[in-house]
Amino acid sequence: MINYIIKRIGIAIPTLLILIAVSFYLMHAAPGGPFTSERPLPAQVLANIEAKYGLDQPIWRQMINYLWGVITEFDFGPSYKYHDRTVNEIIGHGFPITLKYGFWSFIVAVGVGIPLGAIAAIRKNTWIDYLAVGVSIGAQVLPNFVMAPLLIIVFTLWLDWLPGGGWNGGAWQYLVMPVIALSTSYMASIARITRSSMLEVLNTNYIRTARSKGLPTKVIFFRHVLKPSLLPVISYLGPAFVGLITGSVLIDIYFSTGGMGYFFVNAAFNRDYSVMMGITIVVGSLTILFSLIADLLYAWIDPKIRY
Amino acid sequence: MIVGKKGKIKKMAENLSESGAGRSLWKDARMRFMQNKAATISLFILLSIVLFSFIGPYFAVWSYEQIDWNAMGSAARVGMPSIESGHFFGTDDLGRDLYSRVIQGTQISLMVGVLGATVAVIVGTLYGATSGYLGGRTDQIMMRIVDILMSIPYMFVLILLLVVFGRSIGMLFIGIGLLSWLDMSRIVRGQTLNLKNKEFIEAARVTGVSDFKIITRHIVPNLLGIVAVYATLLVPGIILAESFISFLGLGVQEPSTSWGALIKEGAGTISYDTEWQLLFPLAFFVVSLFCFYFIGDGLRDALDPKER
Repeated sequence: MINYIIKRIGIAIPTLLILIAVSFYLMHAAPGGPFTSERPLPAQVLANIEAKYGLDQPIWRQMINYLWGVITEFDFGPSYKYHDRTVNEIIGHGFPITLKYGFWSFIVAVGVGIPLGAIAAIRKNTWIDYLAVGVSIGAQVLPNFVMAPLLIIVFTLWLDWLPGGGWNGGAWQYLVMPVIALSTSYMASIARITRSSMLEVLNTNYIRTARSKGLPTKVIFFRHVLKPSLLPVISYLGPAFVGLITGSVLIDIYFSTGGMGYFFVNAAFNRDYSVMMGITIVVGSLTILFSLIADLLYAWIDPKIRY
Repeated sequence: MIVGKKGKIKKMAENLSESGAGRSLWKDARMRFMQNKAATISLFILLSIVLFSFIGPYFAVWSYEQIDWNAMGSAARVGMPSIESGHFFGTDDLGRDLYSRVIQGTQISLMVGVLGATVAVIVGTLYGATSGYLGGRTDQIMMRIVDILMSIPYMFVLILLLVVFGRSIGMLFIGIGLLSWLDMSRIVRGQTLNLKNKEFIEAARVTGVSDFKIITRHIVPNLLGIVAVYATLLVPGIILAESFISFLGLGVQEPSTSWGALIKEGAGTISYDTEWQLLFPLAFFVVSLFCFYFIGDGLRDALDPKER
């Protein structure tokens, strides 16, 4: 197991470095620097500013400086657009918000998706099954950017139950719609995966054996069916997490929650390179960390994995 | 003696490599697909939508970029869907005809979906088949690269790409296509591993067919079933990705449009009593995606009976 963990971390670190290098290179390949504006700055002023931010050095040097700052001091440098704010401040402001609704969305996706799929599998070809499959297909074609406006129409404009946006320190009324919009399609995918893998497990010989020797249904389900049928779900958790983080871009814009996604898109429109890169790196490390955890979990549960 | 028969062996090899893909399998699959009502109906609806997006413009009164000055700014009162004014689906906030815009959005979204999926399928299939067939260290390295790319939050990278290289449909194709072949390559590799020890591959190798030719003539044709299934499921995924990007305002450029951009515009004005601006594009979007998923499921059942 230790070997497997080391090997897996051995993949994670180069991945992160590649991500940093690629985004760094992309940022600098972009036409137009962060200080290009409609009214061109005098050459001397521009040179001074560039010297201040270290932009006059060769790219590899800039990258090493940047990396060094990130690794040793967790410093992502200053924002090129908002001169009085550092990237750290921006991330520090947006990240807890994203984390909060992201966490709840994850809980909802897993906590509703798995039971839904399990019920559908156990009661195969009954109305419950059809309902669950219908719901999960429906949720699949209603991605977050469609869910968000629909939710606002229903809950804010028609019913007037929930505020249409804002964050307000994360009070629950402000949390409900972002979480629903973000989690639905992942809940649907998890339900579908759970259903199909559980159906497969239910058809295996050892379940038949367990039944024929008269084990109670509950014991069969919790001891023999649940664990193997959750394996594909676990391997889906990594991609689902990436999706949730990506979806946050939209949630922040649509519900004005002010998380990282908002700053990312804002930075994309403003060519605020340092902010974009900082957020990409933070998000990238998170996803890499998360897929690491998911893989280790998988290896721990599945006895067939050799490490 | 052996040298004397070289021509014959070559001919034999040619015959071997030209044996068709087993017609009965595809005939079988088509029959199974036709029996699946949901899939057949979806295919029919989808074809109608495609047909509509080509024929529709001939019935349009307004072009997709033309502004009806009467409706501009007062879409809620004047721009509602009606036959008389020529705005069958109403107008958007700028007074542009939604009927023509929906048609244009449909064309672009479907094109992005199909072309993106094609790029992803070609790259993913060749990559996966090569990796699986060659095996060993090459396989390990190639799959490690896929692992690495998979754990990168690709929507963020795509946005980076679009910002850096300018927003254009071409960039969108490349970005989405390049980033969505990963799943495909994994699936194909798994199937190739199953295939590569079959007798007919060994026979091909014995008769001296090159690796490249074995992959393209013997392995890939046998993967077509599973590739077709996942390609159908890939199209809606890519359409979703494109719509997401367009929704953020980073996708297609005005006056061109796509489903995502239209949904965004419609969603932005829902509080002004112009729900048709959201509902028409949304209906096309949702119905088409539904159809793709059902067709994909139907194909899977038809081509891969053991999956049921």
